[in-house]
Amino acid sequence: MRLKLALILLVIVLTPLALLAWLGFRVARIEKEAVQHRFHQLLLGKLRETRSVISDHLMQKEREHLKILRAVPIETTALRDLVRSRPLVRQIFVAQDDGIRIHPPLEGPLTASEKEFLRRTSEVWKKGALAELSGPPGETTKSEDGSLFNRSSHHGWYSWYWDSGLHLIFWWRSPAKQIIGFEVDRARILADIIGALPDTDLFEPSLPDGRIALTDSTKGTLYQWGSYQPEKSEAPRVSLGLDSPLKAWNLSFYTSGAGFSEDIGRGAFLNLLFVLVAVGIALGGLATYFWREHSREMREAEQRVNFVNQVSHELKTPLTNIRLYAELLEDSLPEDDPRGERYIEVILSESQRLSRLIGNILSFGRKQKEKVRVQKSPGSVDVSIRSMLDLFCPSLDEKGIRVTTAYGADAEVRFDPDVLQQILGNLISNVEKYATEGKLMEVTSNQEADRTTITVSDRGPGIPLRQREKIFQPFYRLSNRTSDGVAGTGIGLSIAKDLAQIHGGDLVLLRTLQGASFQLTLHTPGKNRNDSADS
Amino acid sequence: MKPALILHYAKILVLAACVAPSIREGAAEQVKFDVEMSHPVLKADGKQKTYLKITLTGFEVERKKDRTPANIAMVIDKSGSMTGSKIEKCKEAARLAIDMLDPNDIVSVVAYDSTVSVLVPATKISDRSAVIDGINRLAPGGQTALFAGVSKGAAEVRKFLDKNHINRIVLLSDGLANEGPSSPSDLGSLGASLAKEGISVTTLGLGADYNEDLMTQLAGKSDGDHAFIETPQDLARIFKMEFDAILSIVAQEVMVKVTCAEGVRPLRALGPEAEFAGNSVTVDFNLMYSGHEEYILLELEVPAKASGTALEVAKVEVTYNNLVTEARARLSQTATVAFSDSIKLIAARANSRVLVAVAARTAVLKNEEATELRDSGKVREARQLLIGNAAYLSRKSKEFDSKFLDEMMKANLKDAESLSPEKWRIRRKMMRDRQHRIYLGPRF
Repeated sequence: MRLKLALILLVIVLTPLALLAWLGFRVARIEKEAVQHRFHQLLLGKLRETRSVISDHLMQKEREHLKILRAVPIETTALRDLVRSRPLVRQIFVAQDDGIRIHPPLEGPLTASEKEFLRRTSEVWKKGALAELSGPPGETTKSEDGSLFNRSSHHGWYSWYWDSGLHLIFWWRSPAKQIIGFEVDRARILADIIGALPDTDLFEPSLPDGRIALTDSTKGTLYQWGSYQPEKSEAPRVSLGLDSPLKAWNLSFYTSGAGFSEDIGRGAFLNLLFVLVAVGIALGGLATYFWREHSREMREAEQRVNFVNQVSHELKTPLTNIRLYAELLEDSLPEDDPRGERYIEVILSESQRLSRLIGNILSFGRKQKEKVRVQKSPGSVDVSIRSMLDLFCPSLDEKGIRVTTAYGADAEVRFDPDVLQQILGNLISNVEKYATEGKLMEVTSNQEADRTTITVSDRGPGIPLRQREKIFQPFYRLSNRTSDGVAGTGIGLSIAKDLAQIHGGDLVLLRTLQGASFQLTLHTPGKNRNDSADS
Repeated sequence: MKPALILHYAKILVLAACVAPSIREGAAEQVKFDVEMSHPVLKADGKQKTYLKITLTGFEVERKKDRTPANIAMVIDKSGSMTGSKIEKCKEAARLAIDMLDPNDIVSVVAYDSTVSVLVPATKISDRSAVIDGINRLAPGGQTALFAGVSKGAAEVRKFLDKNHINRIVLLSDGLANEGPSSPSDLGSLGASLAKEGISVTTLGLGADYNEDLMTQLAGKSDGDHAFIETPQDLARIFKMEFDAILSIVAQEVMVKVTCAEGVRPLRALGPEAEFAGNSVTVDFNLMYSGHEEYILLELEVPAKASGTALEVAKVEVTYNNLVTEARARLSQTATVAFSDSIKLIAARANSRVLVAVAARTAVLKNEEATELRDSGKVREARQLLIGNAAYLSRKSKEFDSKFLDEMMKANLKDAESLSPEKWRIRRKMMRDRQHRIYLGPRF
């Protein structure tokens, strides 16, 4: 019983914990994935922001130099002065719509840097990029690699590779159908971009400790910031290419994610663990409480039973004496003393009732401790029934209950009359106590092979359906008008059923339309068989 | 001597005297501007080469009073190699430099290793303690992102860029640039671009491990100084000297334009980079220091002329920003030569100042050539070239009685002895340092 309870409590504690753990792990995993995703988005957002810083810078330079190109007179000295004064301009050129070069001048002396420029850009000129102008208008709106100076746009960037990397040309098509462009100073534009980008000390606190690197087409680092130091072979968490014209360049975000993604993921698992422990402690506490309560109740019940047992034992001796002397008194009474005889009869019947009750209590107590032994002896079941009915006759008569009998078990069989009488006594006294209004008690007996069946029926209020099983539990009493005001220990039927089962039979409540009908079956072997020891 | 001949010489002398300034604008506090020919009298009737020297001297200003405000970014290498006494001495030197500045000056402190930290954003020096705090935060570790450091320093200077102020980046490095662009030409290109804005870069190389080519290119193309600092103990001294020099800048964006006369062909420039276009030559100086002399040497081809005639060889125009008057000034002069048959007269009139300069710069070119030879492993050839160079200098120093050339001769001999692998690393830095200084004119 205790083991079962312990198991049930364990299940009650563990099931929700397991369920919670499973759900929690799922939630934590989803959460972790979500955090990873958010983290990725955050880093990407940062790179986009950085890219737009660079794009904005280029746009600003574009506007600034467009203004300069618009204003410059197409005249050698002015163009050379422009190269001398503009930091971003490495060399300037002017070409006609048909691709013919105007500056650096085709005739007349060239400066060393102009000669160097023509050598550097010889590929660009050879490509006939300028001659493309005489072709049909291009489709693209903004210049891309290889679609230099397309007709539909008025200014743009052109990039080509020469020597040690990317070179840029910014160009503008004047209304006079001239292309004015300049080669961007590579070192300078990078220096300007570096100037526009943050330094290590300005790495945002909202981001995890990281490192953003700007790399060129050969994956060489151009500039980087952030205090995190990636390993040599470490792959970036997120990478993003720059916009045209610096398409070959990349931004990469390196971070261990320390203090961010992993921690948040770990945080979710930690939270879950915390919840699990808390719920576990709560449920465990509750289970322990129930367990202790139950144990206490069990202990108290046991003590009660022990107490009643001891008291009953103590009562048995005086009761025996009372009966003995009452019978002695009955014998010694004068013949013509009806009043005395009646009194003694009452004393005797009440003391018999008392001794039955005590018997009940003692058998219950015994049952709690050890098995009751059945002492079978040869005899007639019907005789036993009759003597029981005789015993109850006076009190039944007094309550106005009529008794009808149908005997069918007078064969001599082996059974324990004490057990039979205790069971019947319980059943009959129940009728007497609870079914007086039915005014009728029917007792039938029947024998078949080695089984004897006895039914005791009444016309009382009966027993509600849902309580049919419970009435056989110890200390259970029907709580209704019937039982109110009626004394009872609540152990009668429980003992009766136990006794019947020990006797190799059973006591059941039959389904009837009216009143209650108990059917008792007993194992009653023939008198020749010697199985008095069966239990 | 026949009177006619005397008259003839007198005429030549008068013509030669015309080399003296002919036009002068402005008055006091102007850059001193001289145009000299190596041979004011040339041999008649023959095409020949001669040298034109244009000398600019920064005017003296009363120190402390009315000094042009400076806007200086100190860019300090804090890579892993800058540990120990290097960084400590560097901090000390930087603090000393800060003490030399006035409350009106603007300073920023940028430190770099693999990444760049702006320790002190461009700020007026009035809050000296904040700047000192920034310097004290310097701690070494990491790679050498030199390009990025200079870029950030430039961005800080640019915050308060004023053409009438002194705009300067002072870069201190002890190692090779190994992050970002790190070729001498990339850094030179950056220097040239910064010069266009009026920002110069002073490069201070500490110890034996930095890349002197990169550092001299960056300084040279931006008209800044370069100095080789052998030991950390010298840091404070060099910083002080450098800051003294920076604070004595009197003119910026100096542009010299030489327009040669018909028939005169400019051949090459000995010294600062010049832009040749036909018969005109342009040289840009970013700045002029007070009391300091800068000069341009041009080799010209002069056509044959008859004896007794004179030729206006070239017109020289100088424009610059005067930092005291805060106005753009323009000066111009012409260089004239006379032609004669008399060898004696030609020799007597030869200008030894110009010839010493020619000898010095010619020797520097040879010295550079020797450096390249040694770089490509041709030790023997390099030694021969240096010894030959020393002999040339020795001859010239005796000819012109020049102590300067004599010292150069000794230095070349020492160079020739220091080509062994163990000595070369340090020696090369000294040579680059010397080449750079003689090219720009000695400043220290």
